[in-house]
Amino acid sequence: MSLGVRAAVTRATRTVVPMWPLSSFIAVNPLGAHESEDFAISGVTRPRNAYLADYASGRISGADLVAAVLHRVPELAGAGNVTLGGRVWTAAELVASELVHADHHGRTTPPPPSPDPVDELVSIWIAAYLDPHPLWEMPDRDQGLWAAWTTMTRYDPRLPKMARKRLRDIPRTADEALAQALARLDPSGSRTEAILRQEALGLPGWVAHIKWRAEHVGDINLTSYLAIRLTLRWALDLPLPLAVKKPELGSATVWERAGTIIPALAEDSASPDTLARVARILTLHPPHLHASTWQSAYEEHYRLQLVATLSPTTTRDLQSAVQLVMCIDPRSEGMRRHLEADLEIETYGFAGFFGVPIRFASYQARGTIDSLPALIAPRHAVTETTNDLPRARRRTNALRFRDALAAGVHASETTPAAPFALAETLGWFFGAGALLRTLWPGTIRARERLHRQATPALSTEVTIADAFTLEERASLAETAIRMMGLDRFAPLVVLAGHGSSSANNLYQSALDCGACGGNPGAANARAATAIFNDPQVRRILAGRGLAIPETTVFVAAEHNTVSDRIDILDRHLLPESHIDVLNEFIGTQRIAADLLVRERSSELPGASGHSLARLRRRAHDWAEVYPELGLAGNAAMIIGPRAMTRGVNLERRVFLHSYVPELDPDGSALETIMTAPLVVAQWINHQYYFSTVDQNRWGAGTKTIHNAIGTIGVLAGHGGDLKSGLPLQSVAVGNTNLHEPMRLTVLIQAPLDRIGTIISRNQVLRDLFDNNWIALTARDSQHSPWHRYGTYGWHTDTELGQTTEGD
Amino acid sequence: MEALTKMTRIEIVIPGRDAPPIRELITSAGSTGYTAVSGVSGLGHHGQHSGALLFNEYDTLTMLITVLPTEKAPALIGAVRQLLEDGPGVMFVADTYVSRPEYFA
Repeated sequence: MSLGVRAAVTRATRTVVPMWPLSSFIAVNPLGAHESEDFAISGVTRPRNAYLADYASGRISGADLVAAVLHRVPELAGAGNVTLGGRVWTAAELVASELVHADHHGRTTPPPPSPDPVDELVSIWIAAYLDPHPLWEMPDRDQGLWAAWTTMTRYDPRLPKMARKRLRDIPRTADEALAQALARLDPSGSRTEAILRQEALGLPGWVAHIKWRAEHVGDINLTSYLAIRLTLRWALDLPLPLAVKKPELGSATVWERAGTIIPALAEDSASPDTLARVARILTLHPPHLHASTWQSAYEEHYRLQLVATLSPTTTRDLQSAVQLVMCIDPRSEGMRRHLEADLEIETYGFAGFFGVPIRFASYQARGTIDSLPALIAPRHAVTETTNDLPRARRRTNALRFRDALAAGVHASETTPAAPFALAETLGWFFGAGALLRTLWPGTIRARERLHRQATPALSTEVTIADAFTLEERASLAETAIRMMGLDRFAPLVVLAGHGSSSANNLYQSALDCGACGGNPGAANARAATAIFNDPQVRRILAGRGLAIPETTVFVAAEHNTVSDRIDILDRHLLPESHIDVLNEFIGTQRIAADLLVRERSSELPGASGHSLARLRRRAHDWAEVYPELGLAGNAAMIIGPRAMTRGVNLERRVFLHSYVPELDPDGSALETIMTAPLVVAQWINHQYYFSTVDQNRWGAGTKTIHNAIGTIGVLAGHGGDLKSGLPLQSVAVGNTNLHEPMRLTVLIQAPLDRIGTIISRNQVLRDLFDNNWIALTARDSQHSPWHRYGTYGWHTDTELGQTTEGD
Repeated sequence: MEALTKMTRIEIVIPGRDAPPIRELITSAGSTGYTAVSGVSGLGHHGQHSGALLFNEYDTLTMLITVLPTEKAPALIGAVRQLLEDGPGVMFVADTYVSRPEYFA
């Protein structure tokens, strides 16, 4: 085995960001491997014309442009002024004018590469290997991809006879084959990495998924994949693919740039001295920054509006009857806002796994789900137990019967010839069902009711005591309380995870909870509730100064983001004393849900004028490609007390994480928020950004032509690459964007020196903030001025002025 | 020391997200095992590194430690050097002595 070859493969694919399977869709920054470089280098922004249109409409103002220019190049503040056309221009104004009047950042995009026959063949083989047909799996599949491929290609009729003959005599291992292929192509070994990198660019979606799978499943790796590609290229006598040229920037000199901008601003010709002064200023803002500065100006406009809308009140002394903790997901913001119209309810934002990372198995389920952020590995296995064994037996029998029925039908569908008999015997039945479902999507609810009646409901509990030691449980509870600043306790505390429901939606998982690994958050809410209600945990917490009153009860719930209903879970565990307050909460929630569904309908495509019932039926309509809009529109994250935002309509665009510095004396809770929820929010934000800005490269295309490869991913049509990113319907309607592509604006209310220290000791945060992948604005407290984090650290944000809240 | 067997100890400190391929190299080189310490803190070429983060193992540093027979070490050292050439991470190599050589061969 050649370790050198493996090292070369790793180096060549270092910038590939792993792609999770569709069954647990994890939003990622597709350019995450480039976060150590400045965002401007990526060059992925909207076209200049789009920014100019926004400038013309006022979506980007002249002041936004100047502010963006100054933030990007602070040195311009001291670069002097220039008199042109009878007025004095500051250096920043001059640079901003160049953005408007001259196009020096226009990148010429090279033509797409011609189709590569290797891509087409390899895509089919990889799909067949990773998603095996139950009756027709690849030969020798159990020995790995290379063994399966070498056995099968000897008989694959799509390959010419000569190629099949050549492939009979190839090395037994992928490592040896790759080394041999590389030696043929590059005897000197000087281009090894470049060849491998070029080859890996062929099917970027498959490569990204193989990278994930190699780390998490282990039945495939990139060495085998690249060995197949290069061996096949040799067998078919195909040349290496041409290197993709990088987009080229305009090559105007700074003198030419000055010569272009001066006539646009002044009728008279400029003196040599003025020309030199203009050129010197323009040098500070080279063309490769122009696109990202436009993007910053676009974001600056939103940032100023966001800060201006923040709540002027910062304290709330009312004692609430209910505290509701929801995920930081922007969709929670709408629900929290409507619920808080009832002054008896106060809400908090926390990552939707509630600080309890688990691998969860439902009662007697066959599989498990990893319900935790993608940033950590599962270590705690939580299951369900029940005391009602007779009912559990009946339920298990009913589920087994349904499973057997489904398996029988599936086997009939996949066995040769049987489908014909199936169509003859059961075709009418299924046809009628399909017709009903198509014309009356609501009938699916009747079927679900039938299923529920046939399957007895079971009261269960999650098994936290087996999964976590008492000390672990107490630590998790303490961490959660300090992270969300829960400094007082209402009689009822509702922990509401969230999930989405939709029919025939391959991207269902993308609508579930990102903090729960693309799963619904009910299991985590139940586990967290069990921990908070544990008397032993409460005793330890009281010893740490975090006493939870005996009268306080936690209850788990799940927010359905299509219907906006909050279902209460494990009601049987709630004491009689809290039933009334729970019922009052449920009544208030129903009103809030209706208001929120109506509010969201104004943005849902094709929902205008529809009744609430019809809007909610989208969850069951298998022809509906917009069951909800997910996180479209997400643009900011606010870390601070809810009082900053209470009563403000943030239009479901903001990740809201509660935080109270006083409950976090050593700053560890803030560090956890900034290194986990903030990082996940950034992944989501950039997934939306890149899927919107360049849907062809970073998006998955339209859902209407997607073909599923098991639960792995989708192809557009019948072949080609595995699609990555979000589908078109997550970010746009036709050519109109539903999502405004903006990098995350982060607002934090916490001591600036604490924030600075956390950034300085965490590479991931240094990369994100120093390299302009996200923007940070912060203030020490509600009475302090806002500061902006920039090239030289903190500086007072003059655009936002002095904060007057609370005065 | 006379009763002990001389071997090579290799320590690699890398970002957690880059650890899987290094682990693969270690096992492919014939090492019978390794120790992984996640959340390593310290000060290095790229600045300060916080220690273990509560909910993020992906962005913290990991230290991988392996011991293997001296004759197997050069291939692994060469491959890891190649991998670390222009990315983050460091490698320390030292002679070491073990009492139960059969555990490492």
